[in-house]
Amino acid sequence: MSPILFWFFALLMLVFGAAVVVNRNPIASALNLVVSFLGLAALFMSLDAFFIGIIQVLVYAGAVMVLFLFIIMLLDLRAERLRKINWVASAGGVAVALALLVQIFYVIGHLTFSKQTFPPLARSEIDDVHNIGLLLFGNYNLPFQIIGVLVLVATIGAVLLSKRERR
Amino acid sequence: MIPPPSLEIAVLVLGMVILMLEAFAERIDKRILAFATIGALIAVLIGTWFLAPSPAQEQATGFWSFYTADPLSIFFKRFALLTTILVLIMMIDYAPVVLASIPSTKKQTGLGEFFAIPIFTCAGLMYLVSAIDFIFIFVSLELVTISFYVLVSFTRHNPATLEAGVKYLVLSALSTAFLVYGITWIFGVTGQTNLQRITAALANPEIERGPALFGMVLVLVALGFKIAAVPFQIWVPDVYQGAPTPVTAYLSVGSKAAGFVVLLRVLRPFLMLPQMERLIVLIALLTLLYGNLAALPQSNLKRLLAYSSIAHAGYLLIGVACFDGPAVTFYLVAYLLMTLLSFAVLVIVAQQTGEEISDFDGLAKRSPFLAFAMLIAMASLAGVPLTAGFFGKFFIFYAAIAQRQTALVVVGVITVACGFYYYLKVVRAMYWQPAAKVDNISVNVLSRLAMSALIVAIVWLGIYPAPILEALRR
Repeated sequence: MSPILFWFFALLMLVFGAAVVVNRNPIASALNLVVSFLGLAALFMSLDAFFIGIIQVLVYAGAVMVLFLFIIMLLDLRAERLRKINWVASAGGVAVALALLVQIFYVIGHLTFSKQTFPPLARSEIDDVHNIGLLLFGNYNLPFQIIGVLVLVATIGAVLLSKRERR
Repeated sequence: MIPPPSLEIAVLVLGMVILMLEAFAERIDKRILAFATIGALIAVLIGTWFLAPSPAQEQATGFWSFYTADPLSIFFKRFALLTTILVLIMMIDYAPVVLASIPSTKKQTGLGEFFAIPIFTCAGLMYLVSAIDFIFIFVSLELVTISFYVLVSFTRHNPATLEAGVKYLVLSALSTAFLVYGITWIFGVTGQTNLQRITAALANPEIERGPALFGMVLVLVALGFKIAAVPFQIWVPDVYQGAPTPVTAYLSVGSKAAGFVVLLRVLRPFLMLPQMERLIVLIALLTLLYGNLAALPQSNLKRLLAYSSIAHAGYLLIGVACFDGPAVTFYLVAYLLMTLLSFAVLVIVAQQTGEEISDFDGLAKRSPFLAFAMLIAMASLAGVPLTAGFFGKFFIFYAAIAQRQTALVVVGVITVACGFYYYLKVVRAMYWQPAAKVDNISVNVLSRLAMSALIVAIVWLGIYPAPILEALRR
């Protein structure tokens, strides 16, 4: 992919990601998040990770966001009223974020392999989905099974904490 | 001989059976589920002494490249099982509070889940102490954390609990993000997620050390959150105070112990980097000072125990900085005994009067047994000789002196003196203050048995610590 497209999608993600936080209206935030996810999907595609890119669109931008919008509408959330901004706390947050950013740039700047170019990846004999399935059910079977238990506990917890008792 | 992985499978199956019983056997008293769970977990605990040996870590592939059953992990599997059993005993005492907080027409709503979710947490802890691959560490850590989200906000009709639940959820999710980001950096440099292979990759002089160190620091942020080390301790007081008391006990013992085991395992490959040790010494110093100084003015016992939990994380970090595994482990055992004992007393007394230290006034007259149990727990937490807590601190400081960590020893000894002040404040309230309320607090047989066992264990390890040290050396 040309670097112009990379910068375009990366900037798209960042701008809309920031808009998610800045917007006070929950629906606007949710829609901004969709665009941010689409940018991420495009970046995955550009790295030849087509399966992850498509899943990103289907699951995150599709299913999860529809769920978000449903919840926002069902709960009838209004735009949050703008609270007085605590400048000291905000400045502290920005300073910490900047420190992390500087650190990341420093580390990347001192990498030797970030300056060299690599040959393109070899084409795989089998397709993405097949590859991921082999890894998940082969080598990474144990963590995959534990995720099953994790989802069970999360489901029980979600039901338990959102259940309204009849009085 | 039992193959080691079947332990966790047994615990998981137990959890599902209890959930099924909870759902379909509506008539039974839900406390029977807790008794059944305790019995079954004791059976699994006994099973840990009959394990078949596992293959060596070095050339492990497939399943065994994620999971190990080395002596350290088997020791901490027993630790997790014992903690869960004691927490379940506490939960039976706490059941009236849970029932009162969930208004419902049906009898005992929600109690079954309150007893079932800790079983999954226990399985998560058992996997976590066995994990030797970053992916598996992440997955089992999430199993533990997600079950804690549910447990912490269980009595959600209480605003303080809800606040605790939200704070724990948000900050824990943030720390998880740091963990994943750190793991990707380490994977990016070494191309491995298995700790053994990361060690081998880092030994290669051509590897880039900087990014690996950066990744490790991010992982340290996440683990610092789990073990409640400064500066990742902001959540601790509010969450510990707001969560249901048995859950607080579980959080402060189970979650912390597993965090330290993972820390010891994860740090091993990175010890050749000299910056790592300096960083941990700094965190240990901050944690010691913050935990002990902030505990001084507390008047709520649960909050006091929260700050004390931060302080103990500091002493444990001294052991980590010296990389003395046995000292850390012994300290964790002592910490389990004394913390669970103090929370067990707190659960019972809080239902009669309250959680403030002033609510313990004259406890010696109201219930000599509970007051004595609390006395032993507080003496051990402070580190009075002839208790397990004393030897815990002794081994830690001994390791620090052997490694010439003068700053850690000096600050450690000064903060121990602080500890004496705030722990003995509770003892003073129990024995020297007039009772605010005259009644006799009754303690059921199971709790009395558990507390007596804890008292005996604390005093026994305080006089004769050899058995634990023997078990560790093997």
